[in-house]
This record gives sequence, C-alpha cells and structure tokens, in this order.
Amino acid sequence: MTSGQEQYIQFGMGPEKYAISISEIHEIIKMQEISTIPNVMPYVKGVINLRGRIVPVLSLRRLFGLEEDRYSKLTRIVVVNHQEETVGVIVDHVDKVTTFTDIQPAPDRVGGVNGANFSAIGIIDEAIAGILKLDQVLVKEGEDIGQY
Amino acid sequence: MDSTELSQYKELFLTEMEEQLQLMEEDLLRLEQEGESQAVIQSLFRVAHTIKGSSAVMGFQPVKTLTHEMEHVLDKVRNREQQITTNLTDLLFQCLDHLQMIKEDLVQGEESSVNIDSLTEQLAQALTAPGQKLPEAVPVNSLAGVQETHQLKLTVTIAASCEMKLERSLLILQQLQEHAEVIKCSPSPEEGLDDSRYECLQITCAAAMNGRQLQAYILSLMDVEQAEVSATLEQENEKESPPAEKKRKVQSSVRVNVEQLEHLMNLVGELVIDQTRIHQVKGRLARKYQADEDIEELEFVSDHVNKVVSDLQNNIMKARMIPIEQLFNRFPRMIRDLNQSLQKEVELILTGTETELDRSLIEEIGDPLIHLIRNAMDHGLEAPAIRAQKGKPLKGQLRIAAAHEDNQVVITVEDDGAGIDPDRIRQTAVQKQLIAPEEAAQLTDQEAVQLIFHSGFSTASQVSEVSGRGVGMDIVRSHIEKLNGLIDIDTCLGRGTCFRIKLPLTLAIIVGLLVRVREQTYIIPMSNIAEIVRAASEDIQTIRGQPAILLRNQVIPIAWVHDHFRIPRVESGRDTIPLVIVGSAEKRLALAVDELIGNQEIVIKTLGNYVGKVDGIAGATILGDGKVALILEIPSFIHGAGGTR
Repeated sequence: MTSGQEQYIQFGMGPEKYAISISEIHEIIKMQEISTIPNVMPYVKGVINLRGRIVPVLSLRRLFGLEEDRYSKLTRIVVVNHQEETVGVIVDHVDKVTTFTDIQPAPDRVGGVNGANFSAIGIIDEAIAGILKLDQVLVKEGEDIGQY
Repeated sequence: MDSTELSQYKELFLTEMEEQLQLMEEDLLRLEQEGESQAVIQSLFRVAHTIKGSSAVMGFQPVKTLTHEMEHVLDKVRNREQQITTNLTDLLFQCLDHLQMIKEDLVQGEESSVNIDSLTEQLAQALTAPGQKLPEAVPVNSLAGVQETHQLKLTVTIAASCEMKLERSLLILQQLQEHAEVIKCSPSPEEGLDDSRYECLQITCAAAMNGRQLQAYILSLMDVEQAEVSATLEQENEKESPPAEKKRKVQSSVRVNVEQLEHLMNLVGELVIDQTRIHQVKGRLARKYQADEDIEELEFVSDHVNKVVSDLQNNIMKARMIPIEQLFNRFPRMIRDLNQSLQKEVELILTGTETELDRSLIEEIGDPLIHLIRNAMDHGLEAPAIRAQKGKPLKGQLRIAAAHEDNQVVITVEDDGAGIDPDRIRQTAVQKQLIAPEEAAQLTDQEAVQLIFHSGFSTASQVSEVSGRGVGMDIVRSHIEKLNGLIDIDTCLGRGTCFRIKLPLTLAIIVGLLVRVREQTYIIPMSNIAEIVRAASEDIQTIRGQPAILLRNQVIPIAWVHDHFRIPRVESGRDTIPLVIVGSAEKRLALAVDELIGNQEIVIKTLGNYVGKVDGIAGATILGDGKVALILEIPSFIHGAGGTR
C-alpha cells in the first residue's frame, strides 16, 4: 500500500479515530429513522430507505464490541459497498477527508478493539487512525460478538 | 454473424424447438390414444421437418440427423408404406425424449453429449422390417441409414422450352423439399418475378444425399435442363441466409426476455411507491394551502398519474401472465408413462387450461403439482383389478383443474382412488414418533389427515420409484407456502382425495394489511388472511395452556406478534384486541396486533443478502411515507405457534 496518495474518510467513535478508504464508501448520510428487524444479530440495527433501496444499517460500536452510545446530531451513517451489497454503518461523527503520511501494520489491539478489524494504521501529523478492513469488520459470526 | 447475433438466433431456435417438441408430444399421445390418422401423421411429419430445417441452419447436427430419420419414417407412414406399431410409437417417444435432452443441453449452453446413434439405427431398422412394401427406387430411399446430411449448392437451369418457369421452379423446389431442406433459393419463386428471371435457380439446401445423388435426382425432374451441385461451407451458408430471413411470417407479438419483464415490473413497483407518496404529499399540501390554485392542478395531475400507473401496472402484470396450459401440457405424457410403469389405467382430465397466472408462479408450482400427481397415481388410484373388486369403474380418473377465484388462482388435483385412511395416518405418525399415542387418539379425522404435511411423514410402506423418495407432502406444503399460497386436503376413504391449492395471481406486487405492533408498522399478506375479528378479553380462552379463540366452533390458537419478535406487549387499555386470522396451508392462527391500519398494494423487496433470511420476515417494502415496513412471513408464525405444542 502506498501512503500519501489514497484518500480516506476519517471518523470517530469516542476518543478514537478511524478511517475508511474513500473508494469503499458509497455516501454518508445523517441519522434517520431505522425500521428495526426482529430476531437478528444485535449489531443489525434495522433497515432504512435509501432512495427506494432497502439498506441494512449496522452499529459499528456493536461490531467493535464497544458500548452503544445515544445517537446525537453528529451521528452519521456511512454507506459502504460490501460484496455487491450496500450496507450502512453507524458512527459517532465524521471528521474529514484525509490522506496519511505514513501507514503501518495494525497492532494486535487498536484502542480496545481487535486488531484484525484493521488493515493498517494511518499516521498524519502525529495523529493516528485505524483503517478499517471492511471484509473483516462486516462479516461476523454470532459467537464473536462482544468477545473483545 | 457475430456471436451475440448467433446467440439471439439460438434463443429463437430453442424457443421454437420447445414449442415444436410440445406439439410432437401432443401428437404422439394422440397417435397412441386415437390410433393412426392422416392428420396426426401429417402434423408429426411437419414438426420433425420444421425442427430439422432450423437445426440444420443452426448447425446442430444430432438434432438434424435424428429429426431427419424421424421425418423419413413418418413420410413412409404417411404414404402408407409403413405401419404404425406400438414399437414404432415407443421409438418415436424415445426420439422425443432424446430431442428434449439435447435441447436441455443446448439451453445450458453445452455441446450435447446425448448419443442418438442407437435411435437412428433403430429408426432405420424399423423401415427395413419385414412385411413392408418397398417403394420404387427413388434415390433417397436407399439412404435411410445415412446419418450425415450435406450442405449443398445447386445451380438448376430450367429448359428454355418450358413455358411457365415460375410455376416450374416452384414445383422443383417442392419436390426437392421432399428430400432436402431448402435453405435459400435465388431468385425465390415466392417473390413472383417475371418468368424470364427463373431460367436459372441458385439453391442452397441441406440434403441427406451426396452431391451426385442430388444431381441425379434433380435431373430426373421435368423441364430441368442442367443441374450443377457444389458443397458449401457452413459459415458461408449462414452468412447468406440468417434464419431470421427464413421466417417471413408476420408476427403480431414479440418475444421479450423474462429478465427484461422482471426489470419492468420492478420499475413499475417503484412508480407505485412514488405515486403513493405523491398522493400523500398532495394531501398535506392541500390542507396547508387550501386556496391555492396550483393545488387543484397538482390534484389533477396526481390523480392522472395515479390512473396511468395503475393501468401500466395492470398491463405489465398481464404481460407476465401465461395460460397454465403450458404447465398442464406436461401431464398427459407423464400420466401415460406412469400408467405404463405402474400398470394402471388412469384417465387424465384437464380443465381450465386457459387460466392465466404469473409465469414465475407457473414455474414454481410445477414441482409440487407433479408431486401430487405422482402421489395420486402411486398411492391414491388403485390398479384395475382392485377397482373391479370394489365395484368402481375400471378406469381411474385424475382431474386437474385451474380456475380464477376472486383474484386468486385455485388449482385442484382430484382422484377417485382409495382416499386417505385417518387411522393409518395416526398409526404411522405414532410409529414415526411424530406425535404421542394419546395425542393421536385426540385428533379428529380431519386433523389426522393433515399429518401427511408433517415433515418426515411418508405412508408408503414400500418406497417405490414413483413417489416416496423421502421427500413428501411437507415439501409440497413448504413450496406452496413460499408462494404465499394455501393447500387444503379433502379426502373420503374409498372414494378419493382432492387437493386444493390457492395461489396469489402474482408474486411481485401483493395486497397487504398494514398493522401496528408497538411503534412499528408491519404488513400481513392479504392472501394469508382468512378474516379479521376483534376479540374482547373474555372471548379469549386457554386451551391446553395456550390462549385461543373459538370461532364458529373452530378453536384457533392466538399468537402475539410481539412474542414472536421478542418485544414486550403493551396494554392498550382498550376492551378489544384486533385479531388477524391467518392461514398457511391447512393451518389457522389468530395473530394479535396493536392496531389495524388498512390495506395497501405493496411491492415486495428483499432485505438483501447481508441480513439474509430472518425468522418471521418474508421481505420488506417502502410505504407511502418513505418508511420501510417489514412483511410478515405467516408460515413461520404458524409453525412456531403450533409445531412444538
């Protein structure tokens, strides 16, 4: 992976910063009313109507095994393309589009979250952000939830 | 011809072949039942000829070879030089089966590996069988065993002395057609040009004889002065005569790809949703700006769009409808084969074949129906000897009927066979530990019969080849439930069994009842709803530990949607609870909800692969206000409520 060139969306949850490659992002929308689906994994918050398409919305906090927080004015749904499906991911707030000056392999744990969820750590101006490995983050077996 | 064009022709060819094979099957069945008749033979001959022609153009050798041999034999029969025997009919049926197989392979896009050598040999042998008059030595007759046909180019010069060259060339072509497939003729007599233009004909044809034989044959015809024959390359041949040119029939309909129709249907679905939204916005605006003139205009436009969209929707729905005949047509042959293999004499009666329903439904309902038919043939209808003992007519009857019944399709499969013995069902169910003996004793006969839909139930004590392959009525039921349908059974011991299947007309758009459970709206498919009642709390009784309601002497268990979805029930504070009585297959259940909202036409969408299959949810839709509502999957509620108790 070359650093510096690729653009990322940087977002945050609690004090931690994370990033998703712009190429994987479909769009970012404000929080909206979610129709809950019964009898599904707890990280599936429900479905929304994205201009006529029905899109599932997931809680990234749940996916990371973090405590869920209340939605605020800053809460956003990052809509990503995942294996030919469109999936929404709820994050606390979206900060900016960024590039990284340095990219390093992810350690075992990143701010209390299992390192397997990250493809790398991006560094710029002494700030760091965990770059999400979406294939890993979104595909969860039932047992994994809340383990970390 | 580039590859897409070729594949288009291939598609056309395959559709045509399917139709022709269907015709062939009908004719063969008629031949077998009604005996030989000139009309049937003629029709069979035509079919074989048509398939031969188009397969030759497409270069599908085995199809062409086989149909050529069939055509040859049929030609003999037609000319009373060969008699139709049972063996010959069977042989023709086999040919049909092989053609079907080849066609299937071609549909899959595979080079067919079906071997036809033994069939062509048998066909050739059928002709040389003793007791047959040998016809005069026309060259082609000695070629019965030849399997290859040649693509040949002919240059035929008509004698200058001939006065009516146009008519003559027509005749030559006709005579040639008896022995070869004429692919192209230039100038074509059909164009009806000036007589002088027909002095010399350029004919491209596919013939079973080689060039010299063909030349000899042509020269033997009247007024032919000269005939030259040369072989053509297939590519060249295709370039010159794309099959579309061959088909000069005027068609008033076009074939549309199913996927395209599917897409159109989806688009209309979107329109339906948007139109509902416009309607709602219009309503809100009208309340806000009562005096505004534009509102009136908006109302007018909105109403018009409404009308157009529902018209459009109806028409597209209609375009997707095909007569159930297309499915029913498969049954006569099936019954024939089953009669043979099971040594039974069952007469099949088909009614309502013109009943139309959605093509995807026709595809889906095929397997369950075949299963029911096989069951009836195997277990229901008795062998002639047994029927005689019971004083029944020797010939059993299997009636399959289709009809429209208030926006639904009802298909019945009815036999006058042995019926289902409730006691035997009880025994088997206990034996297989599906229910406890004391439970079995409590069941009414009607309830006992319903046990055949239980998974793991198959009464056939011997597993036969025809039915009882481990899968049974439970598969039939789940299949029908998947289609939002209902299946009912009515049986009378010794007199017969009748299965009644109710299906919605279409799958993509349904009418649903909107209900509220807590703060969310859910949809119950109308086709699942038997009726809606409001029950006062004192109407609700507890039977065997399960809340239930007594409705016209039928005990119907009550289930709260809340419980199924693990959301807490709320005390409404009202005196009555709305109960939606739903049915799936033969079972009934009263679903308790918080509020009834109303009916609406909805477009079914899936939740997508990420969420996958969710227990109790059949899909989702977007409501007029833009919110997503989930569609309840009634069968899972019913099995959830009644299965373990």
